[in-house]
Amino acid sequence: MSYSSGQFAPQSFTAKLWYVNWPVLIVAGLIAAIGCAALYSVAGGSFQPWAERHAFRFLIATAVVLVMAMVRTEVWMRAAYPAYVIALVALALVPVFGTEALGARRWLNVWGMTFQPAELMKLALVAALARYYQWLPVQRVSHPLWIAVPIAMIAVPVILTLRQPDLGTAMLFGVVGLSLMFLSGVSIFYFLAGAAGAVAAAPLIWNNLHDYQRRRIETFLNPDLDPLGAGYHIAQSKIAIGSGGLSGKGFLLGTQSQLDFVPEKHTDFIVTILGEEWGFAGLAVLLGLFALLIALIIVMAWRCQNRFGRLVISGSAVTLFVYVLINVAMVTGLVPVVGVPLPLVSHGGTSMMTLMIGLGLAMSAHVHGGEGIRRKDVGRFW
Amino acid sequence: MSAMFEHDNEERQARRAFTRRAILMGGAQLLGFSALAWRLFQLQVLDEGRYDPLADENRTSLQVLIPKRGRILDRHGAVLADSEETFRVTLTPALAGDVASVLEEFRRFVPLRQDEVEQIARRAKRQSRNMPITIASDIPFDMLARINLFAPYLPGIRTEVAWRRRCRAGLAAGHVVGYVGSVERPSIDDDALMRMPQVRIGKSGVEAGMEQELRGDGGVQKIEVDARGRMMRNLEVRDPVPGRDVQLTIDTDLQWRVFERVRNERRAACVVLDVKGGEIVAMASTPSYDPALVTDQADEVAWRRLLADTEKPLLNRAIGGQYPPGSTFKMATALAGLHMGAITPGEKLTCRGYYDLADHRFRCWNRTGHGPVSLHEALRESCDVYFFEVARRLGIDAIADMARMLGMGQIYNCGLPQQKAGLVADPDWKRGRWNAGWLAGETVLAGIGQGYMLASPLQLAVMAARVATGRSVEPTIVKYSANPRAGEFPELGLDETKLAAVRSGLKAVVNEEGGTGRNAALGEGKPLVAGKTGTSQVHSHSGNVPQEALPWEQRDHALFIGYVPADAPRYAVAAVVEHGGAGGTVAAPLVRDVMEMVLQVDPAGDAASGGAQGWDRPVRGSNQG
Repeated sequence: MSYSSGQFAPQSFTAKLWYVNWPVLIVAGLIAAIGCAALYSVAGGSFQPWAERHAFRFLIATAVVLVMAMVRTEVWMRAAYPAYVIALVALALVPVFGTEALGARRWLNVWGMTFQPAELMKLALVAALARYYQWLPVQRVSHPLWIAVPIAMIAVPVILTLRQPDLGTAMLFGVVGLSLMFLSGVSIFYFLAGAAGAVAAAPLIWNNLHDYQRRRIETFLNPDLDPLGAGYHIAQSKIAIGSGGLSGKGFLLGTQSQLDFVPEKHTDFIVTILGEEWGFAGLAVLLGLFALLIALIIVMAWRCQNRFGRLVISGSAVTLFVYVLINVAMVTGLVPVVGVPLPLVSHGGTSMMTLMIGLGLAMSAHVHGGEGIRRKDVGRFW
Repeated sequence: MSAMFEHDNEERQARRAFTRRAILMGGAQLLGFSALAWRLFQLQVLDEGRYDPLADENRTSLQVLIPKRGRILDRHGAVLADSEETFRVTLTPALAGDVASVLEEFRRFVPLRQDEVEQIARRAKRQSRNMPITIASDIPFDMLARINLFAPYLPGIRTEVAWRRRCRAGLAAGHVVGYVGSVERPSIDDDALMRMPQVRIGKSGVEAGMEQELRGDGGVQKIEVDARGRMMRNLEVRDPVPGRDVQLTIDTDLQWRVFERVRNERRAACVVLDVKGGEIVAMASTPSYDPALVTDQADEVAWRRLLADTEKPLLNRAIGGQYPPGSTFKMATALAGLHMGAITPGEKLTCRGYYDLADHRFRCWNRTGHGPVSLHEALRESCDVYFFEVARRLGIDAIADMARMLGMGQIYNCGLPQQKAGLVADPDWKRGRWNAGWLAGETVLAGIGQGYMLASPLQLAVMAARVATGRSVEPTIVKYSANPRAGEFPELGLDETKLAAVRSGLKAVVNEEGGTGRNAALGEGKPLVAGKTGTSQVHSHSGNVPQEALPWEQRDHALFIGYVPADAPRYAVAAVVEHGGAGGTVAAPLVRDVMEMVLQVDPAGDAASGGAQGWDRPVRGSNQG
């Protein structure tokens, strides 16, 4: 009944490769392939400029996942806090040194390369919380003091990203962070109390939103007010998706998505072309694949023998889920436009890389999952 | 062994908790995905008819129609900027099929160079095949007609109407009118109009400041297209709403004359304000630029040169230049002193040429001292020591309050963007900015408009206008047809006798023996001018180094602000000449010349009381063509 450390640990490189959760990578590959098809269609039946690069990026990212999977989980665990601190400092520096685009400062220039500290934080937050709960004795999980620590770890990046302003990412931090606390067994009572508090604080939040964020929410509530203004995208994307019907118009035959001028067709609004050309059937398959992928990852987490691994793996499941939920809800007019890509499908290197690195962490935990990490091995808090 | 057991126990606990929670969370996620699936089912299956009204082979396509941008007119209706119709041709690769052969065919109608053809082919490869590429612009109408006639042989080719901005403001009004350019990066919730590549928005000057008025609203053309994207028929057209014309308060004729005068200096700015309506009748800044060169970055080389020029010709110094007001600020210190009861007009303070505070000695510009001086004399001769003492008695807060009351430290809603607010420093500001306490010496320096204090020429003109009228004059450069500013500006709430005491001092500056601004006088039989000189230090150079001996960048700024006629004010004028030297010898003559022009043209109509009545203003259109 006892699982002593190292018993199931794969030893050789080939054995490790054998332990990689190939079904997860295969399903992810299928989703990325759908993305390529959609990008081929958005470009008017051409591999340039997007489909080709998308496929290439996915291959690179898969290689990154495999390399990361070969590295022992302890290495990632030791890197968790430093990575978190670096991400936090970088986030704090964005308003000072960041470059501005689209009215928001999100990018930081490091040795001539731009990077978004928020992307690093997406990974670091999950790892740091997992690291924390690996260390924290189970009996103390619901103690107020030991709840305040992870709350602060979540709240600081949330506040920093809200000030950039980047509502979508801030929300992601919040949801992912709280989910990990939930999965660690923090008493349900805190979540109920938190929800009640959030409802009470809603007016305060409204007052602190940026004008453009308020405008988005307002036009979301009444998009017909201004069909050429902020409601334009939602109206257009609803028409495109709706015109697809049950079975769609067929590959490359979508007209709504192809004949207008909305440039986000290849990024955040890629669901519109899939919905138009493949219809409800196509989108149902896509959603099914996402559900399967998430389910596979959750099972992977469940099978993992240590808390750090479980939480890191769960982190990528929650991230995937939040992205898909917000993106599809956004293009179908259920929630306001917040600018969240559809993972593995939308064109864009940063979001795919972040997601796949997260999957790499998860895969490392999975491959080395037989090793129960004892609290003693983790050492002191730092 | 027991430690191991404890660990296993704890691990089991954590695992059980995780399993329960993971099942809960998985359930929640399933619920979320079900909601999405239901939403898609609703949009795509239940509401299908609603979103796909055309069942046959043809599809509809929405096209945005671009509104004509409003004109910018001067106060008499002369056109400073307008838009003319131009035609352009686009190519959509997805509809063209073979781009090269279509281009070859197209060259029979419009001559394209080989390198242009290659460039188009390269662009076609780089971007989405559905994005139209502009292949020819500004083509004449007969060419357009021929292309439309042969449209069936030119798949993927479409002609479009666009508007080209023509700016006739020239160098003189370039800063005021500004220029337009393409939208850099539209954000996701911008108006769909902003995504059209041919749309132009204001980037500077009134073009940017009145963008909302000028832009208009986009129209929509719903067209039916066949599978190859060729237009079959119009289904519905909602015409674009053209932008509204914006009429400025600028008098083009006067603007040119003032600019030509200001242009004699290397870097300078001048603002002329009608004190009754707050209308800016002329605003000149030098060096300047011609917006026609910059519109659409028509002349790439000229644009780069303007950007790189260290003299910053793109900067409108009248609103974006920030200068220490220097001695021109003494009118504010004087008014604050009287208002707060720190001084009376009759009280005499003795100037020995220096002023000791704590262990620092502040010097008057007149090293030998002015002797005992009253307020009248102190203003006339611009005695520093007198105002050091007034400032010390007042304290910084009272000085800062008066500065704000007279219009400093704020941005006016006058139709011009890129205004700078200047700076009215007080202890709160210093603590926030430098995290340091306020020093008594800084109060004393603020009393003569030095130290941290900064103001733009527009703000200085407003200060002169407010002192002249005792009312809260608000400047504007836009003439409203239904004037919301009808009636007079509200009173500032300053005692009329106290205002009169300051005004008599300002009149003495120009008209009495010993006044520092005698060069601003208009001459025999002309209206009297009131004003104040200012020579603001840029570089702290101790001792009496003559200005000519200093490098140009270290010389003082020359300022003069004033109003005319002194006894029934109509126009306020402020001028700053960067590194010009003494205000009385450089800025005062400039203001005199400008005032002469203003009284001659008298743009604000009901002639000034000083004898300009009935003067016939030559009606001159702008430089047409």
